[in-house]
Amino acid sequence: MSRKKVTAAIAAAALLALTGCGANAGATSATGEDFPKKGKSIDLVVAFSSGGAVDTAARLVQPVLEKELGTNVEVINKPGAGGQIGYTQLTSAKPDGYTIGATGSPSVVVSPLDPARGAKYTRSSFQPLGRQVIDPAVIAVQPDSPFKTLKELLDAAKAKPKSMTASTTGLQTGEHFALAQIQETTGAEFAPVHFSEGASQATTAFLGKHVDILVANVSDVTDLTKQNKARVLGIMTAERSPSLPDVPTFKESGYNVEAGTARGYSAPAGLPDAVAKKLEAALQKAIEDPEVVKKMNDLGLQTSYLSGKDYETFWAGQEADFKKVLPKVQKKD
Amino acid sequence: MDTLNELLNGFAAALTWQNLIFAFLGCLLGTVIGVLPGIGPVAGVALLIPLTLNMDPTGSIIMLCAIFYGTAYGGTITSVLLNTPGEAASAITTIDGHAMTKMGKAGAALTIAAIGSFVGGTIATLGLVAAAKPLGELGLLVGPPEFFALMVVGISLLVALAGKSMVKALISGALGLLISMVGIDPVAGAPRFTFGMDRLLDGVSFVAVIVGVFGLSEILSYRKGESTVVHAPGFRSLLPTGKEWRRSAPSMARGTGIGFGLGLIPGMTGSVASLLSYGAEKKFSKYRNELGKGAVEGVAGPETANNAHANAALIPLFTLGIPASPTIAVLMGAFLQQGLTPGPTLFTEHSEIAWAIIASLFIGNLLLVLLNVPLVGLWTSILRVPAPILTALILLFMVIGAYTINFSVFDVFVMIGFGLLGLALRHLEIPLAPMVLTLVLGPLMERSLRESLEISQGDFSIFLNRPISAVLIALGLLIICSPLLKLRKPKALTDDPET
Repeated sequence: MSRKKVTAAIAAAALLALTGCGANAGATSATGEDFPKKGKSIDLVVAFSSGGAVDTAARLVQPVLEKELGTNVEVINKPGAGGQIGYTQLTSAKPDGYTIGATGSPSVVVSPLDPARGAKYTRSSFQPLGRQVIDPAVIAVQPDSPFKTLKELLDAAKAKPKSMTASTTGLQTGEHFALAQIQETTGAEFAPVHFSEGASQATTAFLGKHVDILVANVSDVTDLTKQNKARVLGIMTAERSPSLPDVPTFKESGYNVEAGTARGYSAPAGLPDAVAKKLEAALQKAIEDPEVVKKMNDLGLQTSYLSGKDYETFWAGQEADFKKVLPKVQKKD
Repeated sequence: MDTLNELLNGFAAALTWQNLIFAFLGCLLGTVIGVLPGIGPVAGVALLIPLTLNMDPTGSIIMLCAIFYGTAYGGTITSVLLNTPGEAASAITTIDGHAMTKMGKAGAALTIAAIGSFVGGTIATLGLVAAAKPLGELGLLVGPPEFFALMVVGISLLVALAGKSMVKALISGALGLLISMVGIDPVAGAPRFTFGMDRLLDGVSFVAVIVGVFGLSEILSYRKGESTVVHAPGFRSLLPTGKEWRRSAPSMARGTGIGFGLGLIPGMTGSVASLLSYGAEKKFSKYRNELGKGAVEGVAGPETANNAHANAALIPLFTLGIPASPTIAVLMGAFLQQGLTPGPTLFTEHSEIAWAIIASLFIGNLLLVLLNVPLVGLWTSILRVPAPILTALILLFMVIGAYTINFSVFDVFVMIGFGLLGLALRHLEIPLAPMVLTLVLGPLMERSLRESLEISQGDFSIFLNRPISAVLIALGLLIICSPLLKLRKPKALTDDPET
């Protein structure tokens, strides 16, 4: 088998040399024309624990990706440190298309901005392949809480700063940034509790009433609201979410706060063009697949596809925004 | 009675011949995958999910649950026979399980493990049927401070695992904590003790450490002329003796209690359950002096706890929609792909499927016993291979096992390095079990400590102000002090490097 391949490579090289295209031995595999090889599976690295929104989205996309690419796609969870462990694994993989990953902002945007975290990657270590969803941040209280409106809650937090605890999914995650943005624009300050293992741990602590406030994404609270286990007071986006039509936006309540998470898929930078094209096309098919879109909807996630190039622009824009509130979310010890 | 009716309907739905075949195939595939070292239930279920995608929801979930049980049991087979744990949760079973194998009682160990798994799994599933909702709410009482206090109790069991010398046990425990610190800081994200190596950002792989410390170091410590591995068991010893049955029963009861309780708490893992169960056996079993030398309690307790945990962990999933352990999270992914959202809404929106799944949990547990008890003879016949060849095969299995954790040679070196460390510790007569205990509990303890202090904004009194955590911490202190007070000190703790 391998001898056959070597022979083929030599033959290919000879042909190329003959036609004067240069002596790039093994040309086919270097440009990725034969990507993906049959039987070689693709790892889809998810930097959060399984069961969370990022993981669910990846697992929904996976079967369609498999069909489009004609090979196995394995979802691999590498949770911890607010995504940094998974992102490090993704960016240190070979850029051959056999390792791609789910990338969520702000985690992926922010972790390299703070030198204290010692991240080994920057924005340019990633090659964005496509954005799947944007998931606005929400703030929720216990169902038996005395606070019925956003204004009541924020006024109470302003009067007694840090008197209420609020969950995040880790230092400098979307929820932590949302809290910083609330503090910046409204002056209301909560005491953040970082659940670095992800949304399911944060939700568990909120359900057990170990934290007062749940800061999360729309998708995390859709089912909780149905079960009447959380009262969502405000959503940090320009328009109301179709999954939570009764919840007013921060803007409606008079606060100019927009925050949330955007999620997509990226590869380590330096993919051969042909491989990138194939992956982008397969991802677009998978993301826009009506069945996937419907299931995402059921989970409270609005599909909002952007191509690799547009996702990159969006990413750069977010990076600029986050740099502004960064001092508020840095560890001060 | 309503519940019983729905459960019976569930059985009716689950007991079609297709579903039975799915359950049977799942058990078999799972066992085979579990026997391969390095691939535990999480990876096993994840690998086989694609197989089930085109099946109807009931059949596919039934098959996945069966795969899940199968892999857990398969891991035990290699732990007992080859001293190589197939997955983290059965690591502690190697101590007494393999010692039993050396005494020619491999068959008994495997049978007890299968029965223990069945007992633990079935009782936990009964709990799910009878009182899922209140039990699920009970798990929520455990917040970060209580979680931390529970970990204190766990760590305090270290004193039970100490052999002759408490100092040596503490050295071993501290070593485990130190190793568990390697990797990215889970809260602030700073790399710790990684020496600039990317491979260490994830920490050292638990399975590689265990295989090295227990398995490899034992093979390395064989001296010339010493009988190496095992006796193939005679037909008689395939089945446990009446005495072994009687001795297992209390251990299984304790294992069920520990596994079930921990399963309700989101964030616990099966390996915590099996370790704490082993610690409890060391502390409370009538035969605690024999543990470490091939006592059946050391197999019955942890194996029961592991499976009780696995089934009880479904309670938070069904009542709250929270995946309580990594394996359950993978199962939850399979639910979602079938368009089912686990949680209380599952019972209102897809009640038939929900009950069919619960019925299939019973069926899966039973099939596992029916499948594996007859196969015990087949598995143990591995031991008829002559000792030198078998030792070489075990080494090969260890290398493959370490490699397949992340498909990286790095883990093979980790395994070899820890094999040498284990050898050194054996020579110094430092017990190994405390190290494993702190290695598993360390990260969970650290995380819950830091979350608690964030909730209290730096005030340590949070651990004493909350009743559950205060009681647990007091219990931990009591266990730690018990050897000093000579309250329950076993009469003769013999020199035993493996405990």
